[in-house]
Amino acid sequence: MLNDDELATHRQELRRGTVVLACLLMLGTPNYGYALLTALDAAGFAVDANTLYPLLRRLEKQGLVTSEWNTDEARPRKFYRTSAEGAALAATLTTEWNELGAAFRTLTENS
Amino acid sequence: MTTTASTLTDRYVAEALRGLPARQRADIEAELRTSIADAVEDRLEAGADAATAERDVLAELGAPRRLAAKYSDRPEYLIGPDLYLDFVRVLTVLLSTVVPIWFLFSGVVIFVAGSSALDTLGAAVVGAIETAISIAVLTTLVFAIIERTGRSKRSAWDPASLPEVLDKRGYFAELIGGVTFALLIAGTLVALQTVGTVEGTDGARVGPIATALWGSGVFYIALFYAAVSISLHVFAYYTGWSVSNAVATVALGVLFVVPAVWLTASGQLLNPDYFEAIGWPAGLGIVTGIVVAVIVLLSAMDSIDGIVRATRKRRTR
Repeated sequence: MLNDDELATHRQELRRGTVVLACLLMLGTPNYGYALLTALDAAGFAVDANTLYPLLRRLEKQGLVTSEWNTDEARPRKFYRTSAEGAALAATLTTEWNELGAAFRTLTENS
Repeated sequence: MTTTASTLTDRYVAEALRGLPARQRADIEAELRTSIADAVEDRLEAGADAATAERDVLAELGAPRRLAAKYSDRPEYLIGPDLYLDFVRVLTVLLSTVVPIWFLFSGVVIFVAGSSALDTLGAAVVGAIETAISIAVLTTLVFAIIERTGRSKRSAWDPASLPEVLDKRGYFAELIGGVTFALLIAGTLVALQTVGTVEGTDGARVGPIATALWGSGVFYIALFYAAVSISLHVFAYYTGWSVSNAVATVALGVLFVVPAVWLTASGQLLNPDYFEAIGWPAGLGIVTGIVVAVIVLLSAMDSIDGIVRATRKRRTR
Protein backbone atom coordinates (compact mmCIF):
# COMPACT_ATOMS: atom_id res chain seq x y z
CA MET A 1 0.00 0.00 0.00
CA LEU A 2 1.09 3.53 -0.73
CA ASN A 3 1.54 5.73 2.28
CA ASP A 4 0.12 9.25 2.37
CA ASP A 5 3.40 10.88 1.38
CA GLU A 6 3.86 8.68 -1.66
CA LEU A 7 0.26 9.25 -2.70
CA ALA A 8 0.71 13.01 -2.32
CA THR A 9 3.87 12.87 -4.46
CA HIS A 10 2.10 10.98 -7.25
CA ARG A 11 -0.81 13.42 -7.24
CA GLN A 12 1.57 16.35 -7.26
CA GLU A 13 3.51 14.89 -10.19
CA LEU A 14 0.31 14.46 -12.17
CA ARG A 15 -0.91 17.99 -11.39
CA ARG A 16 2.39 19.67 -12.14
CA GLY A 17 1.98 21.71 -15.26
CA THR A 18 -1.78 21.98 -14.98
CA VAL A 19 -1.33 25.09 -12.80
CA VAL A 20 0.50 26.86 -15.65
CA LEU A 21 -2.33 26.10 -18.05
CA ALA A 22 -4.99 27.12 -15.52
CA CYS A 23 -3.16 30.41 -14.86
CA LEU A 24 -2.83 31.24 -18.54
CA LEU A 25 -6.53 30.53 -19.11
CA MET A 26 -7.68 32.49 -16.05
CA LEU A 27 -5.47 35.49 -16.70
CA GLY A 28 -7.33 36.29 -19.89
CA THR A 29 -8.92 38.65 -17.39
CA PRO A 30 -6.24 40.60 -15.46
CA ASN A 31 -5.90 39.56 -11.84
CA TYR A 32 -3.48 39.89 -8.90
CA GLY A 33 -1.67 37.25 -6.82
CA TYR A 34 -3.95 36.49 -3.89
CA ALA A 35 -7.19 36.85 -5.87
CA LEU A 36 -5.84 34.46 -8.52
CA LEU A 37 -4.86 32.02 -5.76
CA THR A 38 -8.40 31.91 -4.34
CA ALA A 39 -9.94 31.82 -7.82
CA LEU A 40 -7.77 28.84 -8.78
CA ASP A 41 -8.69 27.15 -5.52
CA ALA A 42 -12.40 27.73 -6.10
CA ALA A 43 -12.08 26.38 -9.65
CA GLY A 44 -10.57 23.14 -8.32
CA PHE A 45 -6.87 23.84 -8.90
CA ALA A 46 -5.31 23.56 -5.46
CA VAL A 47 -1.98 25.37 -5.53
CA ASP A 48 0.31 26.67 -2.79
CA ALA A 49 0.90 30.41 -2.51
CA ASN A 50 4.66 29.80 -2.43
CA THR A 51 4.37 28.01 -5.78
CA LEU A 52 2.00 30.42 -7.49
CA TYR A 53 3.76 33.73 -6.74
CA PRO A 54 7.17 32.66 -8.07
CA LEU A 55 5.42 30.95 -11.00
CA LEU A 56 3.77 34.22 -12.06
CA ARG A 57 7.20 35.87 -12.11
CA ARG A 58 8.58 33.07 -14.24
CA LEU A 59 5.71 33.30 -16.72
CA GLU A 60 6.25 37.05 -16.89
CA LYS A 61 9.96 36.56 -17.54
CA GLN A 62 9.11 34.18 -20.40
CA GLY A 63 6.72 36.78 -21.87
CA LEU A 64 3.67 34.56 -21.37
CA VAL A 65 1.99 37.10 -19.08
CA THR A 66 2.40 40.85 -18.75
CA SER A 67 2.06 42.80 -15.52
CA GLU A 68 0.99 46.22 -14.38
CA TRP A 69 0.99 47.81 -10.95
CA ASN A 70 -2.38 49.22 -9.88
CA THR A 71 -1.96 51.86 -7.16
CA ASP A 72 -5.55 53.11 -7.12
CA GLU A 73 -6.42 51.16 -3.99
CA ALA A 74 -4.94 51.28 -0.48
CA ARG A 75 -2.61 48.38 -1.30
CA PRO A 76 -0.62 48.52 -4.51
CA ARG A 77 -1.39 45.38 -6.50
CA LYS A 78 0.45 43.78 -9.36
CA PHE A 79 -2.04 42.68 -12.02
CA TYR A 80 -1.08 39.95 -14.45
CA ARG A 81 -2.62 39.34 -17.85
CA THR A 82 -1.98 36.59 -20.40
CA SER A 83 -0.04 37.87 -23.44
CA ALA A 84 -0.71 36.82 -27.04
CA GLU A 85 2.16 34.38 -26.73
CA GLY A 86 0.70 33.04 -23.50
CA ALA A 87 -2.71 32.58 -25.12
CA ALA A 88 -1.10 30.64 -27.98
CA LEU A 89 0.67 28.37 -25.48
CA ALA A 90 -2.59 27.91 -23.57
CA ALA A 91 -4.29 26.78 -26.80
CA THR A 92 -1.51 24.27 -27.52
CA LEU A 93 -1.57 22.93 -23.96
CA THR A 94 -5.37 22.65 -23.98
CA THR A 95 -5.24 20.54 -27.14
CA GLU A 96 -2.55 18.39 -25.52
CA TRP A 97 -4.66 18.00 -22.37
CA ASN A 98 -7.73 16.96 -24.38
CA GLU A 99 -5.71 14.43 -26.37
CA LEU A 100 -4.33 12.97 -23.17
CA GLY A 101 -7.85 12.83 -21.71
CA ALA A 102 -9.09 11.00 -24.79
CA ALA A 103 -6.15 8.60 -24.64
CA PHE A 104 -6.87 7.81 -20.99
CA ARG A 105 -10.56 7.25 -21.73
CA THR A 106 -9.66 4.80 -24.50
CA LEU A 107 -7.29 3.05 -22.14
CA THR A 108 -9.86 2.63 -19.36
CA GLU A 109 -12.64 1.62 -21.77
CA ASN A 110 -10.50 -1.11 -23.32
CA SER A 111 -9.23 -2.53 -20.07
CA MET B 1 15.15 35.70 22.03
CA THR B 2 15.22 39.36 21.09
CA THR B 3 12.01 41.36 21.09
CA THR B 4 11.79 44.04 18.46
CA ALA B 5 9.10 46.33 17.17
CA SER B 6 9.02 44.56 13.79
CA THR B 7 6.06 42.31 13.03
CA LEU B 8 6.32 38.67 12.01
CA THR B 9 5.58 39.76 8.45
CA ASP B 10 8.47 42.25 8.51
CA ARG B 11 10.79 39.55 9.70
CA TYR B 12 9.49 37.07 7.14
CA VAL B 13 9.83 39.48 4.22
CA ALA B 14 13.31 40.57 5.29
CA GLU B 15 14.44 36.94 5.52
CA ALA B 16 12.97 36.05 2.13
CA LEU B 17 14.46 39.09 0.38
CA ARG B 18 17.91 38.48 1.77
CA GLY B 19 18.40 35.58 -0.61
CA LEU B 20 17.30 37.54 -3.70
CA PRO B 21 19.18 39.71 -6.21
CA ALA B 22 18.99 43.40 -5.25
CA ARG B 23 17.23 44.51 -8.44
CA GLN B 24 14.27 42.19 -7.80
CA ARG B 25 13.81 43.04 -4.14
CA ALA B 26 11.61 46.15 -4.23
CA ASP B 27 9.13 44.66 -6.66
CA ILE B 28 8.88 41.29 -4.92
CA GLU B 29 8.64 42.95 -1.50
CA ALA B 30 5.68 45.10 -2.57
CA GLU B 31 3.85 42.14 -4.08
CA LEU B 32 4.67 39.79 -1.20
CA ARG B 33 3.49 42.27 1.45
CA THR B 34 0.22 42.86 -0.40
CA SER B 35 -0.34 39.12 -0.87
CA ILE B 36 0.28 38.47 2.84
CA ALA B 37 -1.99 41.38 3.84
CA ASP B 38 -4.73 40.08 1.50
CA ALA B 39 -4.50 36.59 2.96
CA VAL B 40 -4.51 37.87 6.55
CA GLU B 41 -7.53 40.07 5.80
CA ASP B 42 -9.37 37.05 4.43
CA ARG B 43 -8.79 35.14 7.64
CA LEU B 44 -9.80 38.09 9.81
CA GLU B 45 -13.09 38.30 7.93
CA ALA B 46 -13.56 34.61 8.58
CA GLY B 47 -13.27 35.35 12.32
CA ALA B 48 -9.64 34.58 13.21
CA ASP B 49 -7.73 36.86 15.58
CA ALA B 50 -4.95 39.01 14.14
CA ALA B 51 -1.95 37.19 15.61
CA THR B 52 -3.18 33.72 14.63
CA ALA B 53 -4.14 34.88 11.14
CA GLU B 54 -0.68 36.34 10.49
CA ARG B 55 1.12 33.30 11.85
CA ASP B 56 -1.02 30.88 9.82
CA VAL B 57 -0.55 32.80 6.59
CA LEU B 58 3.23 32.86 7.02
CA ALA B 59 3.32 29.20 8.02
CA GLU B 60 1.43 28.37 4.83
CA LEU B 61 3.94 30.34 2.75
CA GLY B 62 6.64 28.13 4.20
CA ALA B 63 10.29 28.77 5.04
CA PRO B 64 11.29 32.18 3.60
CA ARG B 65 14.57 30.83 2.23
CA ARG B 66 12.70 28.20 0.22
CA LEU B 67 10.39 30.86 -1.15
CA ALA B 68 13.42 32.97 -2.10
CA ALA B 69 14.95 29.96 -3.87
CA LYS B 70 11.76 29.53 -5.91
CA TYR B 71 11.82 33.19 -6.86
CA SER B 72 15.45 33.26 -7.82
CA ASP B 73 15.25 30.02 -9.81
CA ARG B 74 18.67 29.08 -8.51
CA PRO B 75 19.47 25.46 -7.72
CA GLU B 76 19.10 24.48 -4.07
CA TYR B 77 21.91 21.99 -4.32
CA LEU B 78 25.65 22.21 -4.74
CA ILE B 79 26.07 19.75 -7.60
CA GLY B 80 23.02 18.58 -9.52
CA PRO B 81 22.19 15.26 -11.18
CA ASP B 82 23.61 16.44 -14.55
CA LEU B 83 27.08 16.82 -13.11
CA TYR B 84 27.05 14.44 -10.17
CA LEU B 85 28.43 11.39 -12.00
CA ASP B 86 31.20 13.43 -13.66
CA PHE B 87 32.00 14.92 -10.29
CA VAL B 88 32.35 11.52 -8.66
CA ARG B 89 34.47 10.23 -11.54
CA VAL B 90 36.86 13.18 -11.58
CA LEU B 91 37.16 13.13 -7.80
CA THR B 92 37.89 9.40 -7.76
CA VAL B 93 40.50 9.61 -10.49
CA LEU B 94 42.23 12.60 -8.89
CA LEU B 95 42.25 11.07 -5.43
CA SER B 96 43.47 7.69 -6.67
CA THR B 97 46.34 9.15 -8.69
CA VAL B 98 47.51 12.45 -7.21
CA VAL B 99 47.37 11.36 -3.56
CA PRO B 100 49.60 8.25 -3.90
CA ILE B 101 52.05 10.10 -6.14
CA TRP B 102 52.22 12.96 -3.65
CA PHE B 103 52.62 10.44 -0.82
CA LEU B 104 55.55 8.80 -2.57
CA PHE B 105 57.17 11.99 -3.79
CA SER B 106 56.98 13.87 -0.49
CA GLY B 107 58.09 10.70 1.31
CA VAL B 108 61.22 10.43 -0.83
CA VAL B 109 62.01 14.14 -0.51
CA ILE B 110 61.56 14.18 3.27
CA PHE B 111 63.58 10.99 3.68
CA VAL B 112 66.42 12.15 1.47
CA ALA B 113 66.47 15.40 3.46
CA GLY B 114 67.47 13.27 6.45
CA SER B 115 64.38 12.35 8.48
CA SER B 116 64.03 8.97 10.14
CA ALA B 117 61.81 6.34 8.48
CA LEU B 118 59.05 6.77 11.07
CA ASP B 119 59.05 10.58 10.84
CA THR B 120 59.01 10.32 7.06
CA LEU B 121 56.04 7.98 7.13
CA GLY B 122 54.15 10.29 9.49
CA ALA B 123 54.89 13.41 7.46
CA ALA B 124 54.00 11.67 4.19
CA VAL B 125 50.70 10.40 5.61
CA VAL B 126 49.79 13.88 6.89
CA GLY B 127 50.80 15.35 3.52
CA ALA B 128 48.69 12.79 1.66
CA ILE B 129 45.64 13.56 3.84
CA GLU B 130 46.10 17.30 3.27
CA THR B 131 46.41 16.71 -0.46
CA ALA B 132 43.26 14.59 -0.47
CA ILE B 133 41.31 17.30 1.38
CA SER B 134 42.59 20.03 -0.96
CA ILE B 135 41.63 17.98 -4.01
CA ALA B 136 38.16 17.26 -2.63
CA VAL B 137 37.51 20.90 -1.76
CA LEU B 138 38.82 22.28 -5.06
CA THR B 139 37.00 19.72 -7.21
CA THR B 140 33.75 20.39 -5.37
CA LEU B 141 34.25 24.14 -5.77
CA VAL B 142 34.94 23.86 -9.50
CA PHE B 143 31.87 21.68 -10.06
CA ALA B 144 29.66 23.96 -7.95
CA ILE B 145 30.77 26.90 -10.13
CA ILE B 146 30.11 24.92 -13.33
CA GLU B 147 26.69 24.02 -11.93
CA ARG B 148 25.87 27.72 -11.50
CA THR B 149 27.45 29.19 -14.61
CA GLY B 150 28.07 26.55 -17.26
CA ARG B 151 24.56 25.95 -18.51
CA SER B 152 25.96 24.94 -21.87
CA LYS B 153 24.28 22.08 -23.64
CA ARG B 154 25.97 18.79 -23.06
CA SER B 155 26.55 16.73 -26.15
CA ALA B 156 24.06 13.93 -26.68
CA TRP B 157 25.10 10.60 -25.25
CA ASP B 158 26.29 8.06 -27.80
CA PRO B 159 26.06 4.32 -27.04
CA ALA B 160 29.40 3.89 -28.86
CA SER B 161 31.07 5.66 -25.93
CA LEU B 162 30.33 2.69 -23.67
CA PRO B 163 33.54 1.18 -22.29
CA GLU B 164 34.48 -2.38 -23.17
CA VAL B 165 33.53 -5.01 -20.64
CA LEU B 166 36.80 -6.12 -19.10
CA ASP B 167 37.44 -9.39 -17.39
CA LYS B 168 37.97 -8.08 -13.90
CA ARG B 169 38.53 -11.55 -12.51
CA GLY B 170 41.58 -12.08 -14.73
CA TYR B 171 43.01 -8.76 -13.69
CA PHE B 172 42.37 -9.45 -10.02
CA ALA B 173 44.34 -12.68 -10.31
CA GLU B 174 47.18 -10.73 -11.94
CA LEU B 175 47.07 -8.18 -9.16
CA ILE B 176 47.25 -10.83 -6.45
CA GLY B 177 50.04 -12.55 -8.39
CA GLY B 178 52.01 -9.31 -8.70
CA VAL B 179 51.69 -8.50 -5.02
CA THR B 180 52.71 -12.05 -4.02
CA PHE B 181 55.72 -11.91 -6.33
CA ALA B 182 56.85 -8.58 -4.87
CA LEU B 183 56.44 -9.89 -1.31
CA LEU B 184 58.39 -13.03 -2.21
CA ILE B 185 61.36 -11.04 -3.58
CA ALA B 186 61.32 -8.69 -0.60
CA GLY B 187 61.10 -11.62 1.83
CA THR B 188 63.99 -13.48 0.18
CA LEU B 189 66.10 -10.35 0.22
CA VAL B 190 65.46 -9.68 3.90
CA ALA B 191 66.11 -13.35 4.77
CA LEU B 192 69.41 -13.42 2.86
CA GLN B 193 70.53 -10.17 4.42
CA THR B 194 69.64 -11.07 8.02
CA VAL B 195 69.78 -14.82 8.68
CA GLY B 196 71.46 -15.97 5.47
CA THR B 197 74.66 -13.98 5.91
CA VAL B 198 78.08 -15.52 5.36
CA GLU B 199 81.49 -14.69 6.80
CA GLY B 200 83.13 -11.98 4.70
CA THR B 201 86.81 -11.42 3.97
CA ASP B 202 87.31 -9.25 7.06
CA GLY B 203 85.51 -11.74 9.30
CA ALA B 204 82.24 -9.76 9.57
CA ARG B 205 78.92 -11.32 8.50
CA VAL B 206 77.88 -10.02 5.11
CA GLY B 207 74.74 -10.36 2.99
CA PRO B 208 74.28 -9.88 -0.76
CA ILE B 209 73.24 -6.23 -0.31
CA ALA B 210 75.97 -3.65 0.26
CA THR B 211 76.16 -3.02 4.01
CA ALA B 212 76.28 0.77 3.61
CA LEU B 213 73.14 0.81 1.48
CA TRP B 214 71.26 -1.61 3.73
CA GLY B 215 72.12 0.54 6.75
CA SER B 216 71.07 3.75 4.99
CA GLY B 217 67.44 2.71 5.10
CA VAL B 218 66.97 3.28 1.38
CA PHE B 219 64.82 0.16 1.40
CA TYR B 220 62.18 1.98 3.35
CA ILE B 221 61.83 4.11 0.23
CA ALA B 222 61.41 0.96 -1.83
CA LEU B 223 58.75 -0.11 0.66
CA PHE B 224 57.07 3.27 0.21
CA TYR B 225 57.13 2.72 -3.51
CA ALA B 226 55.67 -0.76 -3.26
CA ALA B 227 52.83 0.40 -0.99
CA VAL B 228 51.97 3.29 -3.31
CA SER B 229 52.21 1.18 -6.45
CA ILE B 230 49.97 -1.52 -5.01
CA SER B 231 47.33 0.93 -3.80
CA LEU B 232 47.37 2.63 -7.20
CA HIS B 233 46.68 -0.68 -8.90
CA VAL B 234 43.92 -1.55 -6.46
CA PHE B 235 42.26 1.86 -7.00
CA ALA B 236 42.55 1.49 -10.75
CA TYR B 237 41.02 -1.96 -10.45
CA TYR B 238 37.94 -0.61 -8.69
CA THR B 239 37.52 2.63 -10.63
CA GLY B 240 38.47 1.33 -14.05
CA TRP B 241 41.68 2.20 -15.87
CA SER B 242 41.84 5.73 -17.16
CA VAL B 243 44.51 7.82 -18.84
CA SER B 244 45.37 9.38 -15.47
CA ASN B 245 45.92 5.93 -13.97
CA ALA B 246 48.22 5.02 -16.85
CA VAL B 247 50.15 8.29 -16.56
CA ALA B 248 50.52 7.76 -12.81
CA THR B 249 51.77 4.21 -13.37
CA VAL B 250 54.37 5.37 -15.88
CA ALA B 251 55.43 8.25 -13.61
CA LEU B 252 55.79 5.88 -10.67
CA GLY B 253 57.77 3.48 -12.86
CA VAL B 254 60.23 6.17 -13.92
CA LEU B 255 60.51 7.38 -10.33
CA PHE B 256 61.56 3.87 -9.31
CA VAL B 257 63.59 2.66 -12.27
CA VAL B 258 65.98 5.60 -12.55
CA PRO B 259 67.37 5.52 -8.98
CA ALA B 260 67.18 1.70 -8.76
CA VAL B 261 69.13 1.14 -11.97
CA TRP B 262 71.62 3.82 -11.02
CA LEU B 263 72.24 2.24 -7.59
CA THR B 264 72.65 -1.24 -9.05
CA ALA B 265 74.76 -0.33 -12.08
CA SER B 266 77.11 1.92 -10.11
CA GLY B 267 77.84 -0.99 -7.77
CA GLN B 268 76.18 0.43 -4.71
CA LEU B 269 73.48 -2.22 -4.39
CA LEU B 270 75.36 -5.49 -4.22
CA ASN B 271 78.14 -6.43 -1.85
CA PRO B 272 81.29 -7.71 -3.66
CA ASP B 273 82.49 -9.26 -0.37
CA TYR B 274 79.45 -11.53 -0.35
CA PHE B 275 80.20 -12.94 -3.77
CA GLU B 276 83.86 -13.43 -2.81
CA ALA B 277 82.76 -15.27 0.35
CA ILE B 278 80.43 -17.68 -1.46
CA GLY B 279 83.20 -18.41 -3.94
CA TRP B 280 81.54 -16.88 -6.98
CA PRO B 281 83.33 -13.55 -7.68
CA ALA B 282 82.04 -13.44 -11.25
CA GLY B 283 78.53 -13.58 -9.79
CA LEU B 284 78.73 -9.87 -8.92
CA GLY B 285 78.65 -8.81 -12.57
CA ILE B 286 76.11 -11.43 -13.59
CA VAL B 287 73.67 -10.70 -10.75
CA THR B 288 74.04 -6.96 -11.34
CA GLY B 289 73.05 -7.47 -14.95
CA ILE B 290 70.10 -9.68 -14.01
CA VAL B 291 68.83 -7.21 -11.37
CA VAL B 292 69.02 -4.27 -13.79
CA ALA B 293 67.24 -6.27 -16.48
CA VAL B 294 64.50 -7.43 -14.10
CA ILE B 295 63.93 -3.90 -12.74
CA VAL B 296 63.67 -2.38 -16.22
CA LEU B 297 61.59 -5.23 -17.60
CA LEU B 298 59.07 -5.37 -14.74
CA SER B 299 58.59 -1.60 -14.68
CA ALA B 300 58.26 -1.41 -18.46
CA MET B 301 55.71 -4.23 -18.44
CA ASP B 302 53.75 -2.50 -15.71
CA SER B 303 53.75 0.82 -17.60
CA ILE B 304 52.82 -0.76 -20.93
CA ASP B 305 50.11 -2.76 -19.20
CA GLY B 306 48.65 0.41 -17.71
CA ILE B 307 48.69 2.21 -21.06
CA VAL B 308 47.10 -0.76 -22.82
CA ARG B 309 44.34 -0.98 -20.24
CA ALA B 310 43.62 2.73 -20.55
CA THR B 311 43.60 2.75 -24.36
CA ARG B 312 41.61 -0.46 -24.65
CA LYS B 313 38.79 1.32 -22.90
CA ARG B 314 39.18 4.47 -24.95
CA ARG B 315 39.42 2.87 -28.35
CA THR B 316 35.66 2.59 -28.69
CA ARG B 317 35.06 6.27 -28.00
